[in-house]
Amino acid sequence: MAAIRWRAWRPIVLPLLFAGALLLAWQELTGWLAVSPMLLVPPSAIWSVLVQAWPVLLAQSWPTLVNSVVGFLLASGLGIALGGALVVSRRVEQAFWPHVLIFQLIPKVAVAPLFIIWLGMGPTSRLAFAVFLSFFPIAVSAATGFRAADPTALRLCRSLTATTWQTFLRVRVPYAIPHIFAGLKVGVTVAIIGVVIGEFVTAQEGLGYIIMFASSAAQTALVFATIALLCGIGLLLYGAVALGEWFVRRWYGAPISAGGFE
Amino acid sequence: MPDATGRERLLTVALPTGTAVAFLAVWQAVATLWAIPAVILPAPSDIVRQLVGSWGELLYQASFTGAEALAACVLSGIVGILVAAMLASSTPLREMLYPNLVAFQLIPKIALAPLFVIWLGIDAPSRLAFSTFISFFPVAIGTLTGLQSTNPNAIRLCQSLTASPSQIFRHVQVPYALPFFFSGMKVAATLSVIGIVVGEFISSKHGLGSYILLAGSRAETARIFAALVVLCVIGLALYGAIAWLELRVRRAWRG
Repeated sequence: MAAIRWRAWRPIVLPLLFAGALLLAWQELTGWLAVSPMLLVPPSAIWSVLVQAWPVLLAQSWPTLVNSVVGFLLASGLGIALGGALVVSRRVEQAFWPHVLIFQLIPKVAVAPLFIIWLGMGPTSRLAFAVFLSFFPIAVSAATGFRAADPTALRLCRSLTATTWQTFLRVRVPYAIPHIFAGLKVGVTVAIIGVVIGEFVTAQEGLGYIIMFASSAAQTALVFATIALLCGIGLLLYGAVALGEWFVRRWYGAPISAGGFE
Repeated sequence: MPDATGRERLLTVALPTGTAVAFLAVWQAVATLWAIPAVILPAPSDIVRQLVGSWGELLYQASFTGAEALAACVLSGIVGILVAAMLASSTPLREMLYPNLVAFQLIPKIALAPLFVIWLGIDAPSRLAFSTFISFFPVAIGTLTGLQSTNPNAIRLCQSLTASPSQIFRHVQVPYALPFFFSGMKVAATLSVIGIVVGEFISSKHGLGSYILLAGSRAETARIFAALVVLCVIGLALYGAIAWLELRVRRAWRG
């Protein structure tokens, strides 16, 4: 009995234990080896800075959070729409799909300074940059998803004289949902990255700005505290998307795997 | 119908080329006809002129970025394989580390770039370490998935044919894992260029990233675009090199 319970809990307990041990070792080793606080600060120091600078950090995390969420939502809308548009016709797909793929491969981060020239130093340029970065993974996975529909089901719909729209809504969308959410999960992380890079480059507000400022002032504890907060935001938004996926899948009823209904 | 397939094949090439050409033509027309200031949007012809004019400088900057991105890509391949081998070799180790690694993926790792500058300075080692750090993960996950997706029946068959563990690894597990490893490497190729460029944004005195940032601060938009073109070529070349390597390796292994 105990053995069974241990086997069930092991996948949860072991990683937590490891993370705890890592933090403990970090704490002890930095003190023991007298590591310079400019290079690496112990977790306890990060925590105290986090508590101390909490009002400032919270105020600065607001623009980062808002830009990330709005950018992600815009990119989701655009990405899913483009993914759907690509499967409407074979010709449209042939004409645009290679370009979307190539855009996936090029280092889009380097475009950040262009957005500043176009949209200024304000939040608009960071928002647009976040949309630009997170759009492509969402569009690619949405298009892949819309194409993943079982051809037999599509043929069945045609012989039952379903309209294109009906087929899309009843067959293509359910099949695409796992793919779309896989893309959204990538997209939400990438949107935050876009905002933070924008804040690195323009440096006016936000957590990216704090990180740049603190690192140039060699305030490593503040860098770590800000990164910790940023990680919290990242996990929060990812969790929100995962929750959204759970609701959508439940709403569609059937357990949908990437392979289709089973 | 050979005609229909021939036409289809032609369209697969002609349609994307057509949209690209049309896009460039519209861009050129809009930029020149509406006299859009070159600071906002230089015409493609301006970008080509800039590309030709500052070719030597661009090539010089690209040599840093390209070499570092290649090195980071190779490093992330090595680190990824080592991590995957470590995780595949022991179940407790995998249960202990894997969820932490996955959770680590969800955080915006780019934000850690300034830390690498604090730790390793503003030269190539800090960029290499940062770039490897953000790009080894897809390789590790891909290779691990590949190693674990080996058909257990194939392994059992080999065991009953008295194959040694190293033989099983070479002839069964590696071929199964190769496609997964290479799909991870393709993601890593893009990420390693991104890692180097972000590093160059933050610290470097040379490389295309700092070149772009400098051109941006001087509002030399055509120069930014020219550098972006070179950067895209580096990204695509790295991706192409890995796709080519995959073809070669998989062919060699099958023989």
